[in-house]
Amino acid sequence: MLAILLAVALAAPILAPGDPLAIKGDPLLPPWQTMAHPLGTDRLGRDVLSALIHGARTTLLVATAAAAAALFIGITVGTIAGFLGGWVDEALMRVAEAFQTVPAFLLTLALISVTGPRVPTIVLGIAIGAWMQPARITRAEILSLRERDFVAAARVIGMRPLEIAFREVLPNALTPVVSLAAVIVAAAVLIEAALSFLGFGDPNRFTWGSMIAEGRTVLRRAPFLSIIPGIGLVLTVLAVHLTGQGVAKALRTRRHAA
Amino acid sequence: MTDLRDGPMRAPLPRRRLLAGAAALPFLPRPALAQAKRGGRLTVAADSEPPNLNPAIIASNGVFFVASKVIEPLAEADYRAKDGLAPRLATAWEGAADGRSLTFTLRQGVTWHDAKPFSSADVAFSALEVWKKHGNLGRAVFRELEAVETPDAHTAIFRFAVPTPAQLIRNALPALTAVVPKHLYEGTDIMRNPANQKLVGTGPFRFAEWRPGEYTRLVRNPTYWDQARPFLNEIVYRVLPDRAAAANALEAEEIQLAAFSAVPLADLDRIAKVPGMKVYSNGYEGLTYQLVVEINHRRKELSDVRVRRAIAHAIDRDFVVRAIFRGFAATSQGPVPKNDRVFHATDVAGYGFNPQRANALLDEAGYPRSEGGIRFRLRLLPAPFFNETRQFGDYLRQALAAVGIDATIVSNDTPAHLRAVYTDRAFDITVASPVYRGDPAISTTILFQSGLPAGVPFANQYGYENPEVDALIKQAAATIDDAERVRLYNAFQKQVTDDVALVNVAEFSFITVARDNVLNVSNNPRWAVSNWADTGFAV
Repeated sequence: MLAILLAVALAAPILAPGDPLAIKGDPLLPPWQTMAHPLGTDRLGRDVLSALIHGARTTLLVATAAAAAALFIGITVGTIAGFLGGWVDEALMRVAEAFQTVPAFLLTLALISVTGPRVPTIVLGIAIGAWMQPARITRAEILSLRERDFVAAARVIGMRPLEIAFREVLPNALTPVVSLAAVIVAAAVLIEAALSFLGFGDPNRFTWGSMIAEGRTVLRRAPFLSIIPGIGLVLTVLAVHLTGQGVAKALRTRRHAA
Repeated sequence: MTDLRDGPMRAPLPRRRLLAGAAALPFLPRPALAQAKRGGRLTVAADSEPPNLNPAIIASNGVFFVASKVIEPLAEADYRAKDGLAPRLATAWEGAADGRSLTFTLRQGVTWHDAKPFSSADVAFSALEVWKKHGNLGRAVFRELEAVETPDAHTAIFRFAVPTPAQLIRNALPALTAVVPKHLYEGTDIMRNPANQKLVGTGPFRFAEWRPGEYTRLVRNPTYWDQARPFLNEIVYRVLPDRAAAANALEAEEIQLAAFSAVPLADLDRIAKVPGMKVYSNGYEGLTYQLVVEINHRRKELSDVRVRRAIAHAIDRDFVVRAIFRGFAATSQGPVPKNDRVFHATDVAGYGFNPQRANALLDEAGYPRSEGGIRFRLRLLPAPFFNETRQFGDYLRQALAAVGIDATIVSNDTPAHLRAVYTDRAFDITVASPVYRGDPAISTTILFQSGLPAGVPFANQYGYENPEVDALIKQAAATIDDAERVRLYNAFQKQVTDDVALVNVAEFSFITVARDNVLNVSNNPRWAVSNWADTGFAV
C-alpha cells in the first residue's frame, strides 16, 4: 500500500501533468461526472484528482524529511549522551525532557507562526517536536552496549571516544530506533495535515490538510472536497503504521535468530 | 452549476438589480414597515469581539455591529430621506454658503443611559476631543474643525478653519459622528476609558454584559427618546468564529440572524431553501467593500505602467464574481463603486480580460519569457481578512502564471499582514479589501495620496506618486460646491485608473440570513451597523 502511495507521489508530474493549482474547469463539479475531472473540482475549478496526487507528494515529502531530521537529531543527541555519560548526559537529557513537557504540536505551531509557513520550516518544526523519543531510545541502547567487551577493545586500540560511539556502538543500537521511524512518519503526516488545516501550510502547494480546510467551508454543499483528502490521510497513516509494524517484526525475528 | 440566479428562491433577492444595474436603481423599494410585536430576544452570530467598542474612536464594522445599538450618530443612512440621511441625534443641519460652518439642531428630551441629560456640550466634546483627535477616520475628515459653538443646549455650530464641503460632512455623519457622553470622558485618558468597553450612549439598547468568548448582551433602553421603540427586549451576540457553525446554528434556531455573510456564500443556495429562512442581499450599500490588487510601485518591474496594465488585463473579473463570490458581487474598474450614483465615474479606462494583450504589454515592456516561460517573480500577500480575499489570492497566482508572472503566495495572519504591507512595505503585490464609505474623501482618496508616513494602514503605502492626483485630491477636499466636487472626483477616478495605481477587481458587500419571523431587516443602507430600533419579531 505504501509502495503504491510512494509510486503515485513520485510519478505525480506524469500522472497529473501541469500545474495542479491551474484552474481547469467549472467550480464545484461533483465527482464521477466527467472524465476530465474524475474526482470533481474545488471552489476555484481546480482538479481534485491532480490536487490529491500532488498533495500526496507534499505530504510524504514533508513527513519523511521531518522524520529523517528528527531521527538524525535524536540519534546524534542520544549517542553522545549515552556514550559520554556524566554531565553531558545530564544536560542533554534535561533539554530533551524540557522539550517533552511541551506538546509537540504546540511547539511546531509556535515555530511556524514565528518563521512563516514554508516547507523547510515546517519540516524543521515537526522534527523539533519529535526528536526526543529517538534520542531517549538511542541513549538507552547505547548505555547497555557501552560496557561490552568490543568497546573496551576499541579503546585499547586507541580509537577516540566519539569515533567509538558512532562507528562501533551506534550501528548495534540502531534497530529499535529505526522501527520508531514509522511511528514518527505517521505522526508527521498528521501534524503536517493539522498545520495546513489551520492555515499554516505552504500556500503555494496543495496539501491534504489545506484541501480539507478549504472544503470545510462548503462541507454541506460539496462534502467530497473534504472526504477525499481525508480518506487519503487515513490510508497513508494506516499504510505507514502497518509497514512500520512489519519492519519491527522482521527485525525482532532476525535479532532472535542471531 | 446553476447558482442562485436561476434557482427557485424562497427569499426575494434583489441582488441582480442591485448589482448589475446599480446605476439605474434609484432606491430599493422600501418594504412596508411591518408591524413587529414588543419583546423577545434576538440572538445573532458574531465572529469577533473588539476589545475597544467605542465607535467614535474606531469606525469599523466589527465595532459598529454592536456599538451602533448603544451609541448613536447625528444621522443615519436611509433609502428614501433627503440626502439619504435620517435624523438621529441631530434633527436638522444647515451648511453656510462659505463652507466655514455647519449648524446642527439637536434632538430634545434625550437622556444618556445613566440618566444624565444629553446636550450640545456632548456633541462639542465628542467632535473636538474624540473624533478629531482619536477617530481613525474622523481624524482626516475633521482635521480642519476649529471650534464647536454651543449657543444653547440644542444647537451645535461646527466652525472650520478652511472651507469644508457640507456634502462630505453629510456623507460622514452615519459612520463618523457617534456621540459619547462628555461627563464620562472629560479629563480622562480617552483611549483607556472604561466606557470604551462598557458603553454608555443614548441609543435604543443599553450595554448589559460581555462574556469574552461567549456573548455580548444588550438590553432595551426604557427611556429611549422614541418612546414607541425599540421592539426587542434583548439582543445577544453569540460568538461563533467558525463560519460553518453560523449556518447550522440558524437551522437549529439557536440564533435568528447572521449578518456580514456569516453564512458562507457557497452554502446560501442550500440554506435559502430551508423553510423559515430568509436571505437579504441588500442593507450594506453604505459600506461597500472593494476587492483590489495593491501594487508596490517601488519594485522596478511594477513601476512600469505597461506591466500594471498587463496585470489588470490578466484578471478575469467575471470569473472572480462567479466563482469566488457566487454572483454576490459586481465587477469593478475604478475606485468609486457603481452603487454610489453621485460620484461613480463611468468613463474610466476599462481593463477587460485579455491575456494576449497582457502578454503583448509585458513583451513591450521588455520582460520576455525566459526558461520555464517565466518573465519575473513576485511576492503575493493576500489579505487574510475574508475567505474571498484568500481565494482571490489563489486565483490571482494562476491568472498571473498564465501571462508568465510567477507569484509566490506569502500567507500571514492579520497583524503580520498589516505590518508587512503598511509598515515594512515588504511586498510586491497584495490582495486588499478597502471599504468605500459613501464619499471618496472618507476612506478612498487616502489610497492614492502620496507622502503618507509608513504605518498608516489601509492607505497608499505602495509608493504611488502622481502630482496631478495629489493636486486633485487637495483641490476637491477644499471645494464646497457639490457639482464641482463631483467633477473633480471624476477626473481623479480617470487619472488613477489610467495609471493603474491599483487594480480594482470587484465590489462586494454582504448577505444577511435571518429567520422569517424577524421583521424590518435590511431596511436601510447600513442596516447591520444601524440601531435596530424598529427590528422585532412577527406578532
